[in-house]
Amino acid sequence: MSLPSERSRLTDIEKYRGQVLSHPLARGIAPNEVREHLASVPRQRFPMVAYANRGPDPCIQPRGGFPLFEAQYQLTQQLSEAGADFIPLTIDSYTRQNEYDTATQLLHRSEEEGKNYLNGYPLVSHGHELTRQLYCDLKKPVSLRHGTPDARLLAEIAIASGIAEIEGGAICYCLPYSEGFPLDRSLLYWQYVDRICAIHSTDDAPINRESFGPLTATLVPPAVVIAVEIIEALLAAEQGVASFAVSFGQTGSILQDIATATVLRELTRYYLQEFGFGSVQNYLVYHQWMGQFPAQRERAAALIACSAVVSSIIGADKIVVKTVDEALGVPRPEINAEACDTVRYVLRTFRSAENVTSPMIESEAALIRSEARSILDAVFNIPGSDFWDSVFQAFHRGFLDVPFAPHADNANKLLSVRDAVGSIRIADAANVPITHEDAQLEKELLESREDRNDKTYRQMLADIRLMV
Amino acid sequence: MASVYQGRVVIGVIGDDIHIVGNRIMQLALEESGFQVFNLRTRIRPEQFCQAALEVNADAVFVSSLNGEGEYWCNDFRGLFHKVGLGHILLYVGGNIVVGKRSRDEVERLFKAFGFDRVYHQEPDIGVAIAQLQEDLRHVAAQRTVKAHGH
Repeated sequence: MSLPSERSRLTDIEKYRGQVLSHPLARGIAPNEVREHLASVPRQRFPMVAYANRGPDPCIQPRGGFPLFEAQYQLTQQLSEAGADFIPLTIDSYTRQNEYDTATQLLHRSEEEGKNYLNGYPLVSHGHELTRQLYCDLKKPVSLRHGTPDARLLAEIAIASGIAEIEGGAICYCLPYSEGFPLDRSLLYWQYVDRICAIHSTDDAPINRESFGPLTATLVPPAVVIAVEIIEALLAAEQGVASFAVSFGQTGSILQDIATATVLRELTRYYLQEFGFGSVQNYLVYHQWMGQFPAQRERAAALIACSAVVSSIIGADKIVVKTVDEALGVPRPEINAEACDTVRYVLRTFRSAENVTSPMIESEAALIRSEARSILDAVFNIPGSDFWDSVFQAFHRGFLDVPFAPHADNANKLLSVRDAVGSIRIADAANVPITHEDAQLEKELLESREDRNDKTYRQMLADIRLMV
Repeated sequence: MASVYQGRVVIGVIGDDIHIVGNRIMQLALEESGFQVFNLRTRIRPEQFCQAALEVNADAVFVSSLNGEGEYWCNDFRGLFHKVGLGHILLYVGGNIVVGKRSRDEVERLFKAFGFDRVYHQEPDIGVAIAQLQEDLRHVAAQRTVKAHGH
């Protein structure tokens, strides 16, 4: 047994940090100079401060990244003016795959031709000195959104640029995004990222880490999401991260969203305290529907508005918003700004009293809680050199199994479909260690489904296209 | 759950495409219809489809593409199978197989010229392809019987 522990902290990181920072694109980043820069940026640029001042509504965060500096600057201004509380910096796919040469070439081509040859901001190619200029007059946190299994250099440059929130994690940014990146390496590389976030944190201005709970956003049972979120929170806490947000994506069932939020919040606190990390600040982030979006803008707008209401009901600290053009591709800045405005309007107009509950919500929460605890306890009991090693082996054993993850280390045996009220049910847990009683209850709840006797693949297709 | 054994099918997503959802549903659908599925999963090159078909003695190969890379990779797909003596294998392709908006007729002609037996561009119902696969396999079996009697 190798439980989460401070003993796994990379206290000797400076021995190999030099290797990462010697990359030419690190452009001579010096940790001391970065510390001075972070001390000089306004305190409102740190998520802890933004969350503390958020008032009754969740903070609003859009998504967005353009290859050219000027376009990214304009986007930042527009989103900020439209009422975004967190400003996104979404990274292009080549940088995410550590293909910096290709990203740089396509950046030059974009600059020369005035067209976008990248689907995000190539932060490593631009470098920290230029990127600091994006945020000169900004008094809101910037959130790094990517999908990178090896984000060591990227995170160094982000922090050096004054970005105080790093999204991702060893599991959530590897399994759904890569089919072959070795999971053990991802676990080690994210230890590095967590550690440098901790090193650059101060008590009143910690760098916030945020996990990406939607995972594949395709029928992932809440208990699996919760297990992954808590594992990543514990891995970060091991490295000394002081501020951590867990998240999940809209499930498609309001009942299940409320139950998931309740259990996720409760168990994150519980396990952090259990392993001696009770001082870590926690936040809960809610992602608007991450599955297939309706192509009709009216329907997309309705979906965006409804999920904004859910974020208020569950008392989320932040909501990550979609746009009416989600089904069509990367949205124009105006459309993105419009989405922030819509969500702000809904949050202000339909402010919810917290703690909405009902017997059905309570029994759903009890089931999710029991399943998540069974999975986590099983992971804690796997022998390994360190906690990360037990986590790695948990995937090989199929204890952790993320539906529709392309990754070769994922078992892909768990089968999930929706019940009559749209909640995600485990039809076959395969090797995921939930109790016999919980598995039985999942099956009973599935009986309510009308097309229960139709082929499984037809049910799944209907479930995936739920919102279309 | 599974019906009578129907045959062996190699499936996978071609090119550098990592879209796995359709691939997983396809596997499930074929298995539920009685096929033995050899799923190569994502980022598969034409040679890998060919190699797998040869190794498992497949009855059919099902190529999918969601990001439209199909057109680039599938050029002369049948030719590859000819080279290894699998010239008569059933070849199917489906998904979002070309980039940009083009008519289904045009896309079907293009891929039939590449040597595919059936083309399902933006066909929402996997059931159609499975029914046609079963039909084609019966036809192949019948042809074999005719040939055997002809000698």
